[in-house]
Amino acid sequence: MSAFIQIQNVQKSFEGTARQIEALRDVNLEVQAGEFMCLVGPSGCGKSTLVFIVAGLVSPSGGAIQVGGVPVHEPDPDRTVVFQGDAVFPWMTVAQNVGYGLQQTNTPKKEQEDIVTRLIELVGLSGFRDAYPKELSGGMKKRVDLARAYATNPTVLLMDEPFGALDAITKEKMQEDLMQLSVTEADRQRTVLFVTHDLEEAIFLADRVAVMTSRPGTIQVVLDIPFARPREASIKLSNEFQELRGHIRELLVDEEDNGT
Amino acid sequence: MAETQGNDELDPKQKSGPKRLLTAEATVSILTVLMVVVIWYYFTDSIIPKLFFPSPMDTVLVVGRMEGVLVEYFIATMYRVVVGMLAGAVLGVVCGIAMSWNKWINSILDPLIEALRPIPAVALIPFFILWFGIGDTGKLILTALGGFTVMVVTTLEAIKHVSPIYIMAARTLGANRLTIYRTVILPAITPPLIGGMRVTVALSFALVIASEFMGAQSGLGYMIMLARRTLQTDAILVGVIIIGITSWIVDRMVRIIGNYLTRWAPRSE
Repeated sequence: MSAFIQIQNVQKSFEGTARQIEALRDVNLEVQAGEFMCLVGPSGCGKSTLVFIVAGLVSPSGGAIQVGGVPVHEPDPDRTVVFQGDAVFPWMTVAQNVGYGLQQTNTPKKEQEDIVTRLIELVGLSGFRDAYPKELSGGMKKRVDLARAYATNPTVLLMDEPFGALDAITKEKMQEDLMQLSVTEADRQRTVLFVTHDLEEAIFLADRVAVMTSRPGTIQVVLDIPFARPREASIKLSNEFQELRGHIRELLVDEEDNGT
Repeated sequence: MAETQGNDELDPKQKSGPKRLLTAEATVSILTVLMVVVIWYYFTDSIIPKLFFPSPMDTVLVVGRMEGVLVEYFIATMYRVVVGMLAGAVLGVVCGIAMSWNKWINSILDPLIEALRPIPAVALIPFFILWFGIGDTGKLILTALGGFTVMVVTTLEAIKHVSPIYIMAARTLGANRLTIYRTVILPAITPPLIGGMRVTVALSFALVIASEFMGAQSGLGYMIMLARRTLQTDAILVGVIIIGITSWIVDRMVRIIGNYLTRWAPRSE
């Protein structure tokens, strides 16, 4: 059986101000259904671009993407994205934000209400249902964003450094919550592609970690993360975890040296 | 008001703080106004002759003397300001959105707007009198034209600056183009549009008064022009004060409506 997300020979070049910039070259990656895949790489290696291509927001200059056997050409609520920046609509309340994707579907109003209520509760924002984002902290806004991405019950969840802008403590809490969500929301097999530059985050969350080279980005190696799910934060202190971290770090440091 | 409430909820201890501060500020503002009136009272009718600047008493008296015609002129001016302004603003916003929606609409309208924009609308008044006479039509079109130019430019600039991340987020959640315009672009451009609307209010008053100076049979601008010919400085001053106060009230109304529409927006005080 072929993989759920298939990335084949994907290339991407941008027209820079002075010259053409080659962001991705011959990227090949297969993500299995239900797998949590983290994408790490040196800064500027095009990992965000790759996720945007899978989302259908950016079209590749060459190569092909298939999700569930269907070629990707445009965005679809079956592949939602959590962005690095604050993408929560400030003019909508928490409930309106979470329900935004559902509103674009034919889901009955009552059912939409139920899903929204359940997700808001799940991310711990029950008291803030009718609050505007300006009343929320950065971490709370990220929870809204997460709930919104889950609301359409997508088969693929794409995350572009979603916790990159959060402080260390909030970030750890969000990682554990995400781990928890992947357990409680397991009614559907969900494939996750998660971009990060934080190696601990990658190893803690992922089934497999794909390490990219510096620009033009391509997949250097894909590593299996052997820890069983769901994971506790304490595994970060284990020797095995730290050894893996050291190994990936070396791969990246070599890349930084090669790249620049 | 809404913001103060929000702050109070977050920090009840601060409740009396900002409120008392506000009262102190308001007191100072009221004192300033009183002082101006006192100075005005003291200097006029004595050092400054009535012909150059009327005293507060004369100004109040002239209001009583001409009340009927004053109300009639006030209504005439306000009709031109409000209708002209709203027509221009709505048309400006609609055109701005249409231009960003479709590149062909943009290619058609852009050169026309760019040609029109640098021309001060007042310079067109002689033409408008020639074409439309001295009735309401020309004044309404002129005022609408002024508001249109301000709002179409404001709308285009505002749409250009909508953060792409919101549009991308909406696309990935399944929104089509029309939905994105309705649920993302329109709310996102509302704060800058309120700013544009306030400029439009001030401009509309200026355009209506100027066009009433040049040719009219009613209106506060017409009244000021008549009073100037007969050197009735008290009537001139009454006209100026009424225009000032109503312009301030209309601006205030735009701000109140604007604050309500953008109650979601974070504000720096």
